[in-house]
Amino acid sequence: MSLLDRKLARDLRALKSQAIAVALVMACGLAMMIMTRSLILSLESTRDAYYGKHRFAEVFARLKRAPNAVRAELAAIPGVATVQTGIAIQVTLDVPGLPEPAVGLINSLPERGELALNQLHLRMGRLPQSRTTLGEIAVGEAFAAAHRLAPGGTISAVLNGAKQTFRLSGIVLSPEFVFEAPPNSALPDNRTYGVFWMPYKELATAFDMYGAFNAVSLSLSPGASERAVIAAVDRVLAPYGARGAFGRADHPSHRRVDDEIRVLQGLSVAFPLVFLSVAAFMTNSVMSRQIALQREQIAMLKACGFSNRQVGVHYFKFSLAIVVAGVGFGALGGMFLGTRLVGMYHLFFRFPSLEFLLDHRVLLTASLVSALAAFIGVAGAVRRAVRLPPAEAMRPEAPARYRPALVERLGVARIFSASLRMALRNIQRRPVRSGLTCLALALATAILIVPNSFRDGVAYVIDFQWDIVQRQTVTLSLVEPGPPRALSDFRHLPGVVWAEPFRYVPVELRAGPVRRRLALQGLPAAGTLNRVIDAEPRQLRLPERGIVVSAKLASILRVRPGEEIVARVLEGRERELRVPIVGLAEDFAGMAAYMEIQALNRLLLEGDRITGAHVVVDKAQWAAFLAAVKETPRIAGCVIKDSLRDGFRKTTAESIGLLQKIYLTFATIVAFGIIYNSARISLSERARELATLRVLGFSRGEVGSVLVGELVILTLVALPLGLALGSGLAGGIISTVNTETVRLPLVLTAANYAFAVLVVAVASALSALFAARKLADIDLVSALKALD
Amino acid sequence: MTPSDPALPSSRRRAGDEPLFFVRDLARIYGEGSATVTALAGLDLDLYAGELIVLLGASGSGKSTLLNQLGGLDSPSRGILRYRGADLASFGEEELTDFRRDAVGFVFQAYNLIPSLTARENVSLITEICADPMAPEDALALVDLADRMDHFPAQLSGGEQQRVAIARAIAKRPEVLLCDEPTGALDVHTGITVLEAIERINRELGTLAVIITHNAILADMADRVFTLSDGRIVNWRENDRRAPIRHLAW
Repeated sequence: MSLLDRKLARDLRALKSQAIAVALVMACGLAMMIMTRSLILSLESTRDAYYGKHRFAEVFARLKRAPNAVRAELAAIPGVATVQTGIAIQVTLDVPGLPEPAVGLINSLPERGELALNQLHLRMGRLPQSRTTLGEIAVGEAFAAAHRLAPGGTISAVLNGAKQTFRLSGIVLSPEFVFEAPPNSALPDNRTYGVFWMPYKELATAFDMYGAFNAVSLSLSPGASERAVIAAVDRVLAPYGARGAFGRADHPSHRRVDDEIRVLQGLSVAFPLVFLSVAAFMTNSVMSRQIALQREQIAMLKACGFSNRQVGVHYFKFSLAIVVAGVGFGALGGMFLGTRLVGMYHLFFRFPSLEFLLDHRVLLTASLVSALAAFIGVAGAVRRAVRLPPAEAMRPEAPARYRPALVERLGVARIFSASLRMALRNIQRRPVRSGLTCLALALATAILIVPNSFRDGVAYVIDFQWDIVQRQTVTLSLVEPGPPRALSDFRHLPGVVWAEPFRYVPVELRAGPVRRRLALQGLPAAGTLNRVIDAEPRQLRLPERGIVVSAKLASILRVRPGEEIVARVLEGRERELRVPIVGLAEDFAGMAAYMEIQALNRLLLEGDRITGAHVVVDKAQWAAFLAAVKETPRIAGCVIKDSLRDGFRKTTAESIGLLQKIYLTFATIVAFGIIYNSARISLSERARELATLRVLGFSRGEVGSVLVGELVILTLVALPLGLALGSGLAGGIISTVNTETVRLPLVLTAANYAFAVLVVAVASALSALFAARKLADIDLVSALKALD
Repeated sequence: MTPSDPALPSSRRRAGDEPLFFVRDLARIYGEGSATVTALAGLDLDLYAGELIVLLGASGSGKSTLLNQLGGLDSPSRGILRYRGADLASFGEEELTDFRRDAVGFVFQAYNLIPSLTARENVSLITEICADPMAPEDALALVDLADRMDHFPAQLSGGEQQRVAIARAIAKRPEVLLCDEPTGALDVHTGITVLEAIERINRELGTLAVIITHNAILADMADRVFTLSDGRIVNWRENDRRAPIRHLAW
């Protein structure tokens, strides 16, 4: 170990609390970056491996019914590598212990061999077999887990009007249902929606579909154009009631995984970057101060023949030591948190296994970025120090020029005490340094705003979605769209207080080259249950003509109210309609489009039909209501609002809540680090001056109040600045959580601001207390001796 | 005896010796325009190996500026400054660094020790980077600090700290030892031990020693004495015999 390195080690030890503060801030930024990037890597590589191994298809199509012979036509389409046809049918389930009916999507397994695409991963038990006495069925893991189903158990389903009981042969996963959510829902509801697989023969026979199929999955040969294949598939399937083929990008499960990765990508950049910038800034202030204090030592080293490079490297090593500690803590923290967080994704995503993978590249990049930040942080100070001719550096720095502070010249100073005047002059004397301290305090305030705005955003979504928008208790849907009479049947169910109809039609909305598939919802013009709400939030009245779409959908289609979009109906008679956009709705999950129900039915030329109804149920008759619903075969689905809200709380809200807690912890550490560091630097810069005051007869309290006064003034200036900065930062970062499936609104509450102010105030008070204690330790004699 | 031209060879110098430093019309001017300060106004000087030189003068007379020029800490604004025939004025940063590293030892009034290193480590710091150093222990023994080697600066008295600084300066076996007010911060007794250490190095190692001082009495310990005022040499003399330091009427 060279002697300069030994000096380094001892200097570091003397500066350890500040060095640790900087290293911790850096570690927080790096931990977040490493955690999120590694989660992205874990999700992406697990997904890709799963898709590859289990042959996830690339193009999908649903239709009414086509004879198996059409399969050959599909296979003949140029660019198609593999074709998998089968049956996928939605049925009503009777789950033991579940009061309401549940919905199952049953998929067929081929008669011979295994699935060519979307192959299953067997988690438990075995795949169902044909020709057993009791029909066998395999169940998706999410639904099985929600109901604690195990192989050997039974489940009843209504197949084509006939209730049948099946034996569960096994629990499986499918690359097609990594995210198991009901159609047209961005949120999972594993209690009332499940996915199943059974042999083709039994399923087809039950629905009179033997020899036919209604679901297609295709894989493409390398280099094939997805668009061309989709167009060809649509042509082949057009006569068979096809609803339009789509690629992976429109596949609901795939898109949800993609969106989650996109959210993580947003989080992995902006927030850590702020932390790392703060760390670089802190390194700079610590090093500038250290170098200023060692001015004479630097001069001596240079006079004795050390080169600029040697001196520069010495101080760079100083900050490098901090970086190494920061990277070390950061990597460990990131890995620890990542390993814990990866489990959280089991709440949403069903992969055969989801292991935490450390993103080595990001570890390396993050280390280099931090080293670079530290280097930039220290470079300026070192350059100034080595540039100084040694002879000049040997002399103490010229005394600063003081002048009456601005407020004093304005004549209001008489009301200030002497120590407050000194504090003001100090601030004004070094405007750059005061400005930087102020900026640091503002940053400390700002980063505290971000995590809590996440929490408040989630709380707002919960209120908005399930109190303002949805005021029904239950949403009932029919097996097939039915006549208005169905509505009065709903109204006559026990406990139903009020019911409003809705009509769902699968459509493809198009504007220019952009297109999206979703369920167009027909609702009463000014319904009281499932309402259409704008950003205000104010209820939008659905007019007789025109369509209201989610603001997010409008921005994706790049259209504004007043402009027209094309709606292609994907059900029944295929039609294309041009409809004007008449309003933008606010929503935070998935995308939606709404029309007045009569207007929609007129456009569809089908007369008055409803898909279901939103109903309010008297809780006193809840059990009777559910029992009646279960006994009504025409009711396919029953979505209970409260259980959806619970699902959201347990999944999305919980995962965001977890991230929020981690971020908030980090932000608090950083805020303390910044403020403590500022106080330390301010104290060390002023040790001599304050000692002189003490010698001149000022009491410790009076001297302390100069220092504390300065910190208080700077904090008071920094707080509003920090709140504004934090609001902007929160807006920026939340905009990265703005995907087609999940969005968060920017909600800034007084409680959020108050918390940030409180943390900064407590950190400032503790730092001031610490500085005041240090002040007592200043050796008056030696502090003055060094003044020479 | 006050010869008019300080550049003239000293009588102590053996015929045919080249001077270590050859200085002509050396000027150092700081600042620009109305803020110009002339620290050195053009002086001539020859300094030889083995000499002990004392520079006298009031504050602001240019002593320290001259010392900084000789030590390669600063570059002249004008004039000739040669060391062993090499033009120091034309040296770049790197060459000046090498010059300081190999040829020059500095002793400062404020000692300038690294507080986080012990006496031995402060000396070793320098011996690590030069070509043919003496052992740090030997250097410290030369200044009578063999028994205080593992103390930190804060644990040493002012005189001891200054002697560590001298040990640090001479451990590299420099040809030139430049001392800026080495006793300025010390009491008489301590000052004497420090000056004796410098004189001993000069005598035993043949090092050219240049000492700046306010204290005119110290002039008697020198071979030659120069008095500076307003950036010029206004007076110089050559002592026939160097007075022993303990005999100086301090």
